[in-house]
Amino acid sequence: MYSIDHKDLGTPAPASTGTVTLDIDGSTVTVPAGTSVMRAVALAGGHIPKLCATDSLKAFGSCRVCLVEIEGRKGFPASCTTEVAAGMKVRTQSPRIQKLRRGVVELYVSDHPLDCDTCPANGHCELQDAAAELGVEGSRYANGGASQRGVKQDASNPYFVFNPDLCIVCSRCVRACDETQGTLALTIEGRGFSSRVSASQHQPFLESECVSCGACVEACPTAALTEKLPLMLGAPTKAVSTTCGYCGVGCSLKAEVKEETVVRMVPNRAGTANKGHACVKGRFAFGYATHADRVRRPMIRKRITDPWREVSWEEAISYTASEFKRIQQKYGPNSVGGITSSRCTNEETFLVQKLVRAALGTNNVDTCARVCHSATGYGLKHTLGESAGTQAFTSVMKADVVMLIGANPTDGHPVFASQLKRRLRQGATLIVIDPRVIDLVRTPHIEAAAHLQLRPGTNVAVINALAHVVVTEGLANDAYAEERCEGDTYRKWKAFVSDARNSPEAMEAISGVPAALVRKAARMYAAGPNSAIYYGLGVTEHSQGTTMVMGIANIAMATGNLGREGVGVSPLRGQNNVQGACDMGSFPHEFSGYRHVSDAATRSLFEGAWNATLASEPGLRIPNMFEAALDGSFRALYIQGEDFVHSDPNTNHVVAALSAMECVVVQDLFLIETARYAHVFLPGSSFLEKDGTFTNAERRISRVRKVMEPLAGLADWEVTMQLAQALGYPMHYSHPSEIMDEIARLTPTFHGVTYEKLERLGSIQWPCNDAAPDGTPTMHVGAFVRGKGKFYLTEYIATSERSTSRFPLLLTTGRVLYQYNVGTQTRRTANLAWQEEDRLDIHPDDAEDRGIADGDWVGVTSRTGDMVMRAVVSRRMTPGVVYTTFHFPESGVNLVTTENSDWATNCPEYKVTAVEVVRVGQPEAWQARIRAERGAQRSPALPTACSHRDEC
Amino acid sequence: MTVTVWISRDAGALALGAEATAQKLLAAAQAAGTAIRLRRNGSRGLYWLEPLLEVECAAGRIAYGPVTAKDVPGLIDKGLLRGEAHPLRLGPIEAHPWFASQQRLTFARVGRIDPLDLDDYIAQGGFRGLRRALEIGSAATVNEVLESGLRGRGGAAFPTGIKWQTVLKQPAGQRYITCNADEGDSGTFSDRMLMEGDPFSVIEGMIIAGVAVGATRGYIYLRVEYPHAYQVMNAAISAARKAAYLGTDVCGSKHAFDIELRLGAGAYICGEETSMLESLEGRRGEIRVRPPLPAEKGLFGAPTVVNNVVTLATVPVVLAQGAAAYRDFGQAKSRGTLPLQLAGNVLRGGLIERAFGLTVRELLYDYGGGSASGRPIRAVQIGGPLGAYLPESQFDTPLEYEALSAIGAMLGHGGVVAFDDTVDMLEMAKYAMEFCAIESCGKCTPCRIGSVRGAEALGKIARGINPEGNCSLVEELCDTMLQASLCGLGGMAPYPVLSAMKHFKEDFAKRTAAS
Amino acid sequence: MNVERLVAMVNDIAAFFASEPDADAAAEQVAYHLQKFWEPRMRSEIQRCLEQGGVGLSPLARRGVERL
Repeated sequence: MYSIDHKDLGTPAPASTGTVTLDIDGSTVTVPAGTSVMRAVALAGGHIPKLCATDSLKAFGSCRVCLVEIEGRKGFPASCTTEVAAGMKVRTQSPRIQKLRRGVVELYVSDHPLDCDTCPANGHCELQDAAAELGVEGSRYANGGASQRGVKQDASNPYFVFNPDLCIVCSRCVRACDETQGTLALTIEGRGFSSRVSASQHQPFLESECVSCGACVEACPTAALTEKLPLMLGAPTKAVSTTCGYCGVGCSLKAEVKEETVVRMVPNRAGTANKGHACVKGRFAFGYATHADRVRRPMIRKRITDPWREVSWEEAISYTASEFKRIQQKYGPNSVGGITSSRCTNEETFLVQKLVRAALGTNNVDTCARVCHSATGYGLKHTLGESAGTQAFTSVMKADVVMLIGANPTDGHPVFASQLKRRLRQGATLIVIDPRVIDLVRTPHIEAAAHLQLRPGTNVAVINALAHVVVTEGLANDAYAEERCEGDTYRKWKAFVSDARNSPEAMEAISGVPAALVRKAARMYAAGPNSAIYYGLGVTEHSQGTTMVMGIANIAMATGNLGREGVGVSPLRGQNNVQGACDMGSFPHEFSGYRHVSDAATRSLFEGAWNATLASEPGLRIPNMFEAALDGSFRALYIQGEDFVHSDPNTNHVVAALSAMECVVVQDLFLIETARYAHVFLPGSSFLEKDGTFTNAERRISRVRKVMEPLAGLADWEVTMQLAQALGYPMHYSHPSEIMDEIARLTPTFHGVTYEKLERLGSIQWPCNDAAPDGTPTMHVGAFVRGKGKFYLTEYIATSERSTSRFPLLLTTGRVLYQYNVGTQTRRTANLAWQEEDRLDIHPDDAEDRGIADGDWVGVTSRTGDMVMRAVVSRRMTPGVVYTTFHFPESGVNLVTTENSDWATNCPEYKVTAVEVVRVGQPEAWQARIRAERGAQRSPALPTACSHRDEC
Repeated sequence: MTVTVWISRDAGALALGAEATAQKLLAAAQAAGTAIRLRRNGSRGLYWLEPLLEVECAAGRIAYGPVTAKDVPGLIDKGLLRGEAHPLRLGPIEAHPWFASQQRLTFARVGRIDPLDLDDYIAQGGFRGLRRALEIGSAATVNEVLESGLRGRGGAAFPTGIKWQTVLKQPAGQRYITCNADEGDSGTFSDRMLMEGDPFSVIEGMIIAGVAVGATRGYIYLRVEYPHAYQVMNAAISAARKAAYLGTDVCGSKHAFDIELRLGAGAYICGEETSMLESLEGRRGEIRVRPPLPAEKGLFGAPTVVNNVVTLATVPVVLAQGAAAYRDFGQAKSRGTLPLQLAGNVLRGGLIERAFGLTVRELLYDYGGGSASGRPIRAVQIGGPLGAYLPESQFDTPLEYEALSAIGAMLGHGGVVAFDDTVDMLEMAKYAMEFCAIESCGKCTPCRIGSVRGAEALGKIARGINPEGNCSLVEELCDTMLQASLCGLGGMAPYPVLSAMKHFKEDFAKRTAAS
Repeated sequence: MNVERLVAMVNDIAAFFASEPDADAAAEQVAYHLQKFWEPRMRSEIQRCLEQGGVGLSPLARRGVERL
């Protein structure tokens, strides 16, 4: 079932222009051309009973309940599959039609339980509705006839059950898996009367290829596929539209609640980013919000070795403020700082950086984007003029060639991946540049035309080689580049990439990618006509992360692939609000809207608005803060929603730095790893507990709406406000909308943004101002934001982290579909059913050389540290490269990663660490301990949806 | 002197022992010290005379039949290889009245030639149609087919020329020719006979279609139950490719066309064109909703000609002899000839190609010779398992599309199955529903569930359970299936049921009385 | 501040700008980057390092720091 407040129009809206006027039951109706008769009737306020049709899926025409009469046409066409035509006369009701519809529904009912009263779908079952409407109370065929019932239900998936007895074989689930999700995990097995819905090869859902996106459950017209949670908690009573708190796709969701409890989460079909789709995390993994581990009261302690002491908000806030004041007095104003969170709202990040700059008087503010997409901001700002992706997600539907670099959308950005797959299945060409064989390289009905399986750390070598081919083979769009870009930088760049040292043949030895394949890929990209680049952290988290971003912008400019739909450079942002956090002035060197602190005009604008004197020098970045802490010049840090100890490289170094501070304040939902080194713990609020906005990877600002009260009584923005107050810098906001008003006033790209407008338009892509009052889906149309695009020379420079005889393998990292980043949230949901530990993927050859079998414990050692985890022997890997995720703290992945970082932004080089892997007998003692702790913590949350309940 | 002997390699002949006969003949000839050249042809279509053996001698091709292996030594002794007299001697087969009265256009070469001998094919008029098509060009070829009045022989009888025209009119881009060789109707075998007996004619038809609509690629979708046809067609495709009739430059014309043979997996429904396309694409064989028509969006979403084997094999005839010549055969809106397949309880079953217009009675008695059992013929089913049953009172209906349609029947693919008076028409009605239930793809509800419920209700009638109620329930169900089914399977399964109930009331009434 | 780390960082920055053929412009770009993105105590630390001989600084890094 779809959302409780949705009126299903039966078939999707047509992609047409123009209208058609027809006659429906004597009334004249005008609808868009290409509309189905069924939809036209619904749009006109009428209703035709239906079972296999739903407006999220293409018409299928199988249930035969929606028959109508059309003057001049033979028989009884199905209204779902019949398009309207000018002058058409449709009759939706007649005794003859009713008789046929009854006849069909009676056949359904002949093999369907009739105990509706006890059925979970009672009241919102489409078969029940149709039978009631047509007056079918039972079936004359039923007695003793053949039946498909009596099949055991499949409750293997933690979030939903499949009860085949209630299935009417309408194929809506199968089609949803195909059309909406693109996984094709479901099928109809058997033929004729024996047709049954089946997951993969007649497997339980959990063991099948199903990725648990839930599109099938949403599409089911009966209770055959039903979410478990509403079964336990009862039906929701209202729906609140909000935005997903996981990845940078920023899906619009409807939280369906009963009183204050979220019962279901359904993707919003009006949502432009996700168009009615969601993934296993967004749709199902929200139980962490009410998990027993949530900290509900502030806590403080003098020393990190002391036990925590629960205190009142007042005490926690005033203690924190007094510590910060004390430390600043003693060590100077720049001895403190703050961290904004990409998980929090725009308004909250804005407030934190305002608190740091205005109340603490320092620019020592940074954000977790530092460790993911800071290189994107720098690279795109310098080349194109704006620190953001250039496209809307829907742009991909007009791309002819998609070059995917260092991103794994089916795991990291699943809802975008579904759209991408749809386009690829329509025939667009895919080029994958990734050290691993990611799913998209070959998945049902999709195969990459080229997979450049490069050695980690050689991105720039590959992009230069691609550019070399484009330029030397005359494939560049000189006219575009000369007109739109700085001609001298363009020509300099052309000369640079044309040099033989950048040829695919010369680069082959470095990157490991066959020159012929690079040439093929370059020709495909240049041929377009619409070529789009999508990239992820595989681009940015390198010592040459910024260089690579620039290299990407260069090749896009040189081929004229910017400034319209279907093309562009699109970073796939990791976190829900990483774009927003960057926009809001979270970086130490710039105010909101990416304006440098040294710019006097901007500074005076903020000084006027904030009534404070602001520093003109850039502040410390996160890794600099650690260095400064270790040398004693940095003593206090206010961390909103980030787990350094888990997420940042070289854990031992991070721990040493935190331990050297006098006041570490952690504001979070849970006692995260970093809280072990904190002096103050301020309970955070989840995205369900507050109002605000998130900005996704396509610059789309979407509303987050409160559906429950903050568990600890205060939303994060209120906590920051109180802290500012206690620091002697009062802030006066009664609602986050007032913070947005201030952001809009002070930020040119946000000038036109208001909550009222967001309400009206649903979402807005910045820049939104007088020049673009409804926002800007595609950037750089006509001209670059920078004025003229600028080419940068991108010399390939090998990272100092290279494989040696001691550390012969290269470790790279990523994430899986079911867990999310440091796992703070997803580890507290039933998603553990799919993955409950990090594992090391290793190629069979490397495994064999080391006597490692699938599932063995292995030790991974780098020059910085070591960890132990289980091995997965996998042909996804190329020999010489190993891979793991970092979702579980007990894995200690960042004990192994190094402090190497991007030259421009200090974004850590997570993607390349030289390691050796050896077989070991068991995990380290400390790992075993954490595992045991976690086991004890999570046992009540498993195995089913009871993890969603407060009392668990 | 070497004597040439023809024995069919047609699957029907083989089933009747043609291979054993052939082996025996070779052995016996060797023993007798006579050199023979054994050639294998398609079947002449006189199945009650298979295994049929033809000896080339001065008097022409002298036929003997049916010749079983054990007849061979005696025949040789009696001068078989010289065409001498014997009780099994039939004389030149083309002079046999059963054969001589036919009008063989599409089947002109079947049985006369070695199906894989390209020279034979060309010598007997092969590729003349293609040459003409290449000469007159695309639009004129389509027009020729249109003018000939040729309608789809697969069963739906849609005008072939119009279908081609639709494909031709589509925006430029990839197009496909698909040959539907999923001949699944019970009692039909004309596609099989053609593919086994004259495969080049099918290939030529497809090439012409390709040239006509601008398609460069063709697929034959062959049912897996036809292994012999599979071998022959594949061999013929290779031969045609070798001789440059297929490939990048068809007959030096710069037209590219090639054919791929694909095997089905045993589903009747894949004979329905949209299911066939789904199956060709590697999907589950399931009906596609129309529109769009395959001619607009067919295989892999491209404009596609879907034609039956007989239709395509007839195209070369139309082109070679001209639309008018073809059109001269037949009557009313049924032009040309139809290869009828006579089977069931008849004395002389087989393939009869005649111009449209022969009556059912003429077919059953003049050709069929009445029932094999000697009992009166009570019913015939025309057009496969979904065709209506005709009672004796309708036997004077001419075998043409509109006349049959007027009495609620259909010609379909031209299969005619006869039943004598021992037939239980209630069982036949139930069988129709059961057939539908077995072959239903399961997509639409009236067919998926309705066919099962129909068979159940008819079974109840047979068991005397509430016969009146169940009879009217079946009628109501048939109405639902007829009007609401997605395709012809569920939509036509009611025909045999309703016709049985209408014309053979007594078989249903019997049970009513018994209750 | 860990000087070795700062030296490594400024060397990385200089390596990027090294492809600029105009040596003066390259040094200017290094200096500009440090000016824009380095917190003052980091800049003074690296300057102090330079004053003490600038051990480990690449030639371009050195010229960049000299311009601070």
